[in-house]
Parts: sequence; C-alpha cells; structure tokens
Amino acid sequence: MRHRVTANVALGALLLVSLFCSRLVPQEDIPGKKAPSITMTEAPITVVTRGKGASVDLHFRVGAGFHVNSNTPTQDYLIPTALKLNAPTDIVVGRITYPPGEEMAFTFAQEEKLSVYSGAFTIGVIVRPLASVLPGKYEFRGNLKYQACDNAACYPPKQLPVSFEIKVVKAPPAHVTNPGQSPHVHT
Amino acid sequence: MKRDPIVIVVVAMVISLLLVFGVEKARHRPDSSPDAGNTLKNQLAPDFALASLDGKTTIHLSDYRGKAVLLNFWATWCVPCKIEMPWFVELQNEYGSQGLQVVGVAMDDASPEDIAKFAKDMGVNYPIAVGKESVGDAYGGLQFLPATFYIGRDGKVIDKVFGLKGKGEIRDDIKKALAQSSSAPVTPSAQLTPPATGKAAN
Repeated sequence: MRHRVTANVALGALLLVSLFCSRLVPQEDIPGKKAPSITMTEAPITVVTRGKGASVDLHFRVGAGFHVNSNTPTQDYLIPTALKLNAPTDIVVGRITYPPGEEMAFTFAQEEKLSVYSGAFTIGVIVRPLASVLPGKYEFRGNLKYQACDNAACYPPKQLPVSFEIKVVKAPPAHVTNPGQSPHVHT
Repeated sequence: MKRDPIVIVVVAMVISLLLVFGVEKARHRPDSSPDAGNTLKNQLAPDFALASLDGKTTIHLSDYRGKAVLLNFWATWCVPCKIEMPWFVELQNEYGSQGLQVVGVAMDDASPEDIAKFAKDMGVNYPIAVGKESVGDAYGGLQFLPATFYIGRDGKVIDKVFGLKGKGEIRDDIKKALAQSSSAPVTPSAQLTPPATGKAAN
C-alpha cells in the first residue's frame, strides 16, 4: 500500500517535471521567443616571448538557431562581426584573423547569398610584446560586435565583452658558441 | 518518523524545477516579448510624430486615418526587412488606389542620409520615418525586426506580424485591413496628402 502511494507521488512529480520541461524547450521557429547569444570560451593563458609575436585563438559559439554576419558580409549595409581589443601598454595587437563565412540564404530570397557564422567559430589574434615589456601576466579587454538573425528576423547589433590573458616571458638566453671550438668536426 | 528517500528526492526535483522555471519566466519579461504587441490588437494604434528622412516634414500616423495602413518597422542591417521591401512597393502600387498606405519606420543607427540612399536603392515608393525607441516601446517593444502592424481605416490595430512572412500572407493581411470599414469619422488630417507618397524616399 505504502509503495503504491510512493509510486503515485513519483508519477505525479514526473508529470509535473515533463510539463515544466515542455515549457522550457526552446521555440526556435518562433522569432523572438529566444534571445540570440554568442558566448566565448575562456581562453587559456598564452605564453609569449617578449619581442616576438604569438597567436591567441579565441573560441566563440553562436546560440542554436541563430547566425551572425561573418567579418566579410556580402553587402555593405550588413554589420560585420568584428573584434576590437585594447592592448596593455607596449604590447602590440597585430593581425586579427577571422574564419571565412558559411554561405546561407533566407527562405524567400534564395538568390541573395549571405556570409555568416553559426555554431562554433574561432578568431585568431597576433600579439607581440615589445622587448622592453616586463615579464608577467597581461590582460587584454575588448568587444566582439555582432548582429544576429534567426531564419525570419534580425536582432539589433550587440557587443560581447571579450578578455584574455597572456604571460610574457624573457627570451631564452642566446646559445653562445665557444669561440675556441672549431666549427669543424674532427674525428 | 522515517521518510521515504524517493519522496524526498522527487520533492527536491520538483522544487528545483520550479525555481528554474521561475528564473526563466523572470528572464523573459512579458512586456519585452513579441506577444506584447498582441495587447495592441483592436486598440487604437499609438500615434507618433517622426521626422521624415530629409528632416523637412513630420510624419504622424494619424495623418493616414481613413486609410488602411501597413506600418513596417525595419532597419538597413535587417536582411528579412530588405526582402519584404520590394513586395511593399508592389503592394502599394496594387492597393494604393483602394486606400492602402504603407508607412516605413527605420529603427536604425545609420544616418538619415544612409537610410534614404538604401530606400532609394530599393525603389521605395512610400514614406519612411526615422524611428525612435519610444515609438518602438509604444508598439510593444521591438526586440527584433521586421515588425509589421496592419491598421484599419479606423486607426485600430487589426494584426501584427513579427519576422519575415510570405508575400501571400502580407497580401491577405492587407485585404483584411482594407475590408475593415472606418467606424470613426475621417479626421481632416487623414485627407492630407501624405508627405512623401509616390516619392522614392523622403
């Protein structure tokens, strides 16, 4: 008898759970039912030798059901995805490399091809600390500007705060050759 | 008294889910959802006074009382909005003589000059006003574009459509708006010639 009551309570609770879960399922086909988002995976600290350049990869993910324009959209009036960074003093931000966009088209305009990012994409940043920079950790901050759409509607441009760290280290001591040693190998 | 661990676990699950559900509901405030536009249905469409693209005239929605109005909120960065624009041009030509007036409101950060150039390139033949956030808010808060309101001759909102729809659906909504007879007397302002009808873009 007691087990039957317990089973009924469990069944009732599971029904409630199912009901709430059904309310939480993303309704991607209905525009505006879910806000678009880009998230950035926390970047591991990159070790960079001062005076030399290194590439830092920043990984982003566009929320399911959405896309953003690539860095090179097909039309001038579209807002490109673009990263802007503020570098610490004496560290130079070099070339920012964006991935190529995927081609897509909206339902009613198949002929108008767009260049977009959806799912995961990676942006590469070259950083170069000047030789005078003191060894240590340095933080870069900036924003990723993007403009998202789903399959029927577009959302106003937004900015995602971006940050990552690098660790500047001294260059290893140069290999000193023994001037007394002949470069020739004697056997 | 010994409690059944299954019951405790189930109750904990239910409480957790209720909390998650509550947070989710709070995050999606009802006034910021597209459903907020539904509250305008059968209500008088909020009037506005917005500058035309050339800044020389002010466009009032009430200027078009007595006409069926397709009020389209759009932006230059919105591809679905761009897809609809040639349809609106065509439908304005087709139904203009029956009393349709398409009115565009650009919810854009671009300069009026850039918006005007875009509209000209699109061959727009209906007035376009420079939008304001307060107007968007009056129409339920426009989280995304395009957003189109169909307004009857009496100035009341008949329907609203968020996102891109097919031309056939737009035509059907226009017919519904045109079919609605004006219950309110036509105000003198409704008889005014709209500021830029028939021009490429004002």
